[in-house]
Amino acid sequence: MNEVHNTASPDSLRGLRVAITGGTSGLGLALVREMASRGAHVAFVARNRDRVATGALENPGTHGIVGDVSRKQEIHPIALQILGRLGGLDALVNNASSLGPTPLALLSDTECEDFEQALATNVLGPFRLTKALLGALTASARQGRAVVVLNVSSDAAINAYSGWGAYGASKAALHHMSRIWHEELVAEGVQFLSANPGDMDTPLHALAVPDADPVTLKRPGTAATELADLIAAAIASAPSPAESSASAKLLHENAARVA
Amino acid sequence: MIAASEPRQRPPGAKLLVLDLEGKIVHALRTELVDFLHASDLVIANDAATLPASLAGSHLATGARIEVRLAARRSLEPDDVAHFTAVVFGAGDFHARTEDRPLPPPLVPGDRLVLGPLVATVEATLAHPRLVALRFAGSPDAIWEGLARHGRPIQYAHIATPLALWDVWTPIAAGPVAFEPPSAGFVLNWRALAEMRTRGVEFATITHAAGLSSTGDAELDARLPFDEPYAISRGTAEAIRRAKRQRRRIVAIGTTVVRALEHAATRRGSVSAGNAVATQRIGRRTRLRVVDAIVSGTHEPGSSHHELLRAFVDARTLGRVNETLAALCYRTHEFGDSVLIARQAVNAARQPNRRDRSDLTRSPSQSHALRPCLTRLPASEM
Repeated sequence: MNEVHNTASPDSLRGLRVAITGGTSGLGLALVREMASRGAHVAFVARNRDRVATGALENPGTHGIVGDVSRKQEIHPIALQILGRLGGLDALVNNASSLGPTPLALLSDTECEDFEQALATNVLGPFRLTKALLGALTASARQGRAVVVLNVSSDAAINAYSGWGAYGASKAALHHMSRIWHEELVAEGVQFLSANPGDMDTPLHALAVPDADPVTLKRPGTAATELADLIAAAIASAPSPAESSASAKLLHENAARVA
Repeated sequence: MIAASEPRQRPPGAKLLVLDLEGKIVHALRTELVDFLHASDLVIANDAATLPASLAGSHLATGARIEVRLAARRSLEPDDVAHFTAVVFGAGDFHARTEDRPLPPPLVPGDRLVLGPLVATVEATLAHPRLVALRFAGSPDAIWEGLARHGRPIQYAHIATPLALWDVWTPIAAGPVAFEPPSAGFVLNWRALAEMRTRGVEFATITHAAGLSSTGDAELDARLPFDEPYAISRGTAEAIRRAKRQRRRIVAIGTTVVRALEHAATRRGSVSAGNAVATQRIGRRTRLRVVDAIVSGTHEPGSSHHELLRAFVDARTLGRVNETLAALCYRTHEFGDSVLIARQAVNAARQPNRRDRSDLTRSPSQSHALRPCLTRLPASEM
């Protein structure tokens, strides 16, 4: 079994088994590079076969998986490959996102189908994939490893911006789903994080705001470093296996005495 | 018993037959399982996810249509996915009972099988026209992708609609190493695990590559279960040692957990962490060293799973359980009802420590009106 050792540096993610969706462009690609450079075992998911092959070639040791998280039928094949290749899972980053209508449209002008696509990619996809991988994530937690699910959110999940209806509403749902899951699963050893990486110079942002000056936007690599730091911090703050087994031991010693 | 023909893991109304310490049979809803656990129990489940182990394709030399069912693997290593033991059927699909499926064309070493995007070579035949050792071509990444895209979970003739992977992955499914689902784990959901924690019931898992439960061929079925690799984590081994030291009960969710834990204990005297391959059969002559009680599906007499229950109770008691399951229309097979059976010898040996009903975490209701499906009930249960 691989153990997570943070001895190399406080930011090291050596041995962490992580899956990243939307891993061939923008923030996802930067995260694949960042996590791999910190020693994590990375599997990444994206829709385009050629781009997945290129991503795997450019980041040796990573595993590229072709799949579309917005499609129900593809979730378990994706989960099977993630678990098959990594042999388990300690962290999941739900990063793949859909803007909904492009160019952005007022909510009143948004086609139902475009809203459905945003919900499928930004809410149902992360829900289904997380659920399919939850057994592996909690198994890892039971083995004393720190476990994190990071859902990539947006400030459009909190603030109401005209023209960002499908995206903002779906990211708001994802954000709230993260909070509820955290409440329900922190006792199983799984921490849920919902993070806003900020406005970045990515293909998604270019679709949304074509005339934005790239110089004013955050570089995806910078956001990836911040998110990797966030994961490293969550792992460092997780209760150590020694603590949790000590409390279990105490509980059962009490139980034995009562019996 | 009747076959459970709907692929629902936790149907409302799923039943649980509990064989209590006095050998008395109690009927409950399966959702009440936690009520029948003791506050000090250590519950152990198999967290294996199920592979899409059924691969349709053709025999390259003859063009004959075949179905390959992957049946066993030598290790749990993620990269060790080229070599499998497999059962091969001739033309047809799961709508036909396996008993009625034709043989594949005669297979010889070197034969190539084309299975969607995967190509496998027959490395050896294993003393039966259906049983072969296969080797897949390609990298582990390519093999995993081929299985994920082309494979289907092993199907059952008594379920009309094709099963998808989500039908057979238990809620706690982790490493994809099982060939058929460790279906006793269907009883678990996250609420049940939270309730266990609230009540002080400890929960742990092992990973055991559950193999085929049956092939429809009497000669092959007599060779089941095949060798099954398993892994026991340090945390689980430590939990077992602690429970044994404190004379707490160990409850296995499913036959695969019994096989793994008892194999580990036989090999090393006590259960220690690590990977190994379970090769033994468990039956009437097995002395159980680890497991005190089992939650299991209901199994047909004659199957290897049913025989395993004989390690827990004598023939007369198991016969009485079977008559009751039949008389009260318990449903059988993967998506059927469940039993909770405590080990008889332990009950006797631990009489002084016996926990009476007040020790149950909550007094279970026993008032479920069960409608008999036959007019005759075993006399002892009337």
